[in-house]
Amino acid sequence: MKRDWKRKIIGGLCLTSVAFVFQACYGTPQDFGNDLLVEGQVKSKKTGLPIKGIKVSVAERVQYANTDENGKFSLYIDKLQHANIKFKDVDSTQNIWFSNKDTLITINESVLTSKQPKVYLNIELENK
Amino acid sequence: MVTMLKQALFRVFRKFETKHHELNYLFWECTTRCNLNCRHCGSDCSKDSFYKDMPLDDFLKALDTIESPSENFTVVLTGGEPLLRKEIELCGREIRKRGMRWSMVSNGYLYNNEKHISLLNAGLGALTISIDGLESSHNWLRNNDKSFERVDIAIGLAASSSRLNFDVVTCVNKRNFQELEEIRTYLIQKGVKAWRLFTIVPIGRAKEDDEMFLTDHQFRELMDFISESRTRKDIDVKFSCEGFVGEYESKVRDSNFFCRAGINIGSILIDGSISACPNIDRTFSQGNIYKDNFFSVWQTKYELFRDRSWTKTGKCAECKDYKNCQGNGFHYWHGEKKNVLVCHNERLKKTTNC
Repeated sequence: MKRDWKRKIIGGLCLTSVAFVFQACYGTPQDFGNDLLVEGQVKSKKTGLPIKGIKVSVAERVQYANTDENGKFSLYIDKLQHANIKFKDVDSTQNIWFSNKDTLITINESVLTSKQPKVYLNIELENK
Repeated sequence: MVTMLKQALFRVFRKFETKHHELNYLFWECTTRCNLNCRHCGSDCSKDSFYKDMPLDDFLKALDTIESPSENFTVVLTGGEPLLRKEIELCGREIRKRGMRWSMVSNGYLYNNEKHISLLNAGLGALTISIDGLESSHNWLRNNDKSFERVDIAIGLAASSSRLNFDVVTCVNKRNFQELEEIRTYLIQKGVKAWRLFTIVPIGRAKEDDEMFLTDHQFRELMDFISESRTRKDIDVKFSCEGFVGEYESKVRDSNFFCRAGINIGSILIDGSISACPNIDRTFSQGNIYKDNFFSVWQTKYELFRDRSWTKTGKCAECKDYKNCQGNGFHYWHGEKKNVLVCHNERLKKTTNC
């Protein structure tokens, strides 16, 4: 910690605010961690059993993932205070039809500022 | 006077960074297979590599030796072409599970919509894609007629992400030199926010091909192009950190030249070798993950990287700018290491009065 302060003071004195932001010549820019891990499990409200093949997406974003055989999903999304996570049954050949569900999540400040921000969602879907 | 003061302070900062050598950035050469056969490839990569891809578990064992990774510690997946690894998302997720971040350097050929989504889902945080000219010159350098078409899609997808820290890199050569302004316009239209320009290192397949290398006059023009572009502010254009560029230092980059290889940048190469940037002469290897504890090597070795006084030889021996340059980029020391392979500063000085 002490070393970090020293580093910032010496770097700051160089009058170059980007002394700490660097990339190797053949590497990528640095990742500043602008994401949030959303994971969870989708189950049937009626039976309590996990549901495979539910499409989990983020409203107004291109990203989506499908639940696995344990009904689980995991995806890193943009780090926002609010996100609308949508659940849609797209796997009617293997399951009975389940109703779609939208879940608005609000991420509190302490989660957003943690080193590895993440939320876990337990979702129950009703039969159509 | 102000410039000299800034340089002096930066040297103090560099000395501090070198002394503490915090590992911030780790290259993983996860494959040397490649789906292209680029004319300028410094690694001589090909479709069928001599080496098998390093098993993920082997890499993770080495990664797990790192005690208290730094705040922005990033693993950079490179190759070869990393997207040829079918389980690249799993690699990324395993890195994220350890509280670390990951990024990737790609030629973009396999980067389609499906891959874009799966990589974002797996926590990809930064990405670099190469484009080496408009369609004809890019395809020529990449030795593939569809290369531009594919990279165009990749760039559009990556630029559309609000969270990826994404940039495009271009290796400037005699063919694409006249296209720089048009490439710039193309990238702005694609929504790209950052563009990094390189010159080509005379190693690997490139070294025998004169078309790869700019003349000294063209090199100065490149510096002028970057310098002028940076005043326009519509895209963040910069010269890579490949070398010290004397009078242009404050004009073509955000920060002074500082080769951080072995100081903040380490690597685990395809055969397990422990080094710094992958384009550095492999004889500088400091150990091997199959025999040594990676982090212990990082903490206790790398003497030649952290004390560069051995580079004060050949044309560097009498150079007045040595204290700011320290032998140029480490990757310019190859073979006998008796002389630096390229001196950017010298190239500029040769054309000062033209």
